[in-house]
Amino acid sequence: MRLLIHDLPEKWDEILRPKAEEVFRADGNYAPCQGCFGCWTKHPAQCFMKDKLQTICQKFGKADELIIVTENHYGSYSAAIKNVMDRTIGLSTPFMTYRKGLTHHTLRYGKKKKLTVYVYGDMTEDEKNTFRLLAECNAVNFGYREMELHFAASAEELEGVMA
Amino acid sequence: MKTIFVNCSPKKKMSVSGYLNTLAALGIKGEKVKEQVRNKGDHERVLSQIKEAEAVVFSMPLFVDSVPSHIMNFLADMEAFCLEKGLAPKVYVIANNGFIEGRQNKALMQVMQNFCKRSHLPFGGGIAVGGGVMLNVTRILFPIQCGLVVFSSLMNGLQTGNFMLREALLAFIELALVMTVLHCGVLFFGARLIKAINRRGECSVGYTRMMLPSFLFALVADIFFIIISIFGGGIFKGWLARKTEEQ
Repeated sequence: MRLLIHDLPEKWDEILRPKAEEVFRADGNYAPCQGCFGCWTKHPAQCFMKDKLQTICQKFGKADELIIVTENHYGSYSAAIKNVMDRTIGLSTPFMTYRKGLTHHTLRYGKKKKLTVYVYGDMTEDEKNTFRLLAECNAVNFGYREMELHFAASAEELEGVMA
Repeated sequence: MKTIFVNCSPKKKMSVSGYLNTLAALGIKGEKVKEQVRNKGDHERVLSQIKEAEAVVFSMPLFVDSVPSHIMNFLADMEAFCLEKGLAPKVYVIANNGFIEGRQNKALMQVMQNFCKRSHLPFGGGIAVGGGVMLNVTRILFPIQCGLVVFSSLMNGLQTGNFMLREALLAFIELALVMTVLHCGVLFFGARLIKAINRRGECSVGYTRMMLPSFLFALVADIFFIIISIFGGGIFKGWLARKTEEQ
């Protein structure tokens, strides 16, 4: 199953629907992660905050391909997308392991096929390089075997880049 | 000379970021203000403090390889605020992460440097601490262990008349040495950062860690989470299971 998360206006839901079985629009209207680790230690894979993101990591867990469409913010994800990602800690377990020579957490839902990231908006070369590093780290952290990263100068150019 | 310390942890208490800010502030001269950004409600207050500051020290945890989402919101507001008011305080960053390797904060540091460039703010450098959660353990354990040394010395003294001061002193020195070794990277790079902040200068980003082999750190972290999960109850609720929304 492919899951797509994006931070674009609502009308994009329809445009992006053919790209994935499930499309999730990150509107940013939810609480940020509180760093309590309750999704590991109290109620596994579930957040204590009862909003749209309470069981988001279970949605991520089901998908073997994740597509992220995000606006560039300083070479990182937009706050709305990052908010969703921060709330997916329950995708992993508290146990430590090594991946690519660095310590990481073991994966509750096992290894995944592919992470694809589309970044749109005005971007400097430094920001592109930061995104390359960040997406690579995310792929290892979440256990994706493959990672693809694409840049589009604006939201309008996205359709061409994603075709 | 005004320095603002912004704790970027969402935690109300016992945050490693707040603790690192407190430690850094000990060495800073001039006026010091400690603030915390937990949500959008804090933005206006913290920005009004930044208005008069010459240096802003962000202390933050690593969330999913980068800056926490609530801080991404704050950075956007700070960029607009600084550009509008023509402010240019020097920005320093203290990062900490749960994994033992401090270099896992590299993307976070780059994001903060990109933020500085966009906002026309000078980036002064920083320090990234791997295994930051251990700082929370040592800050609790060290005083307890010191207390135990004093207690046993007192008890012995009261019972036998011999306070065993020499033994107590040796035990304290041993504890202090272990602490120094564990924290030597934090102390070295921290001192370097404090020096840079005091002269409003620059230093490179120091990537360091708690001085513990990674396999030992992983073992300690695993035991820690097993204990917490027993008390939290998670261990009895499909602790490592693949949960689905249907369940």
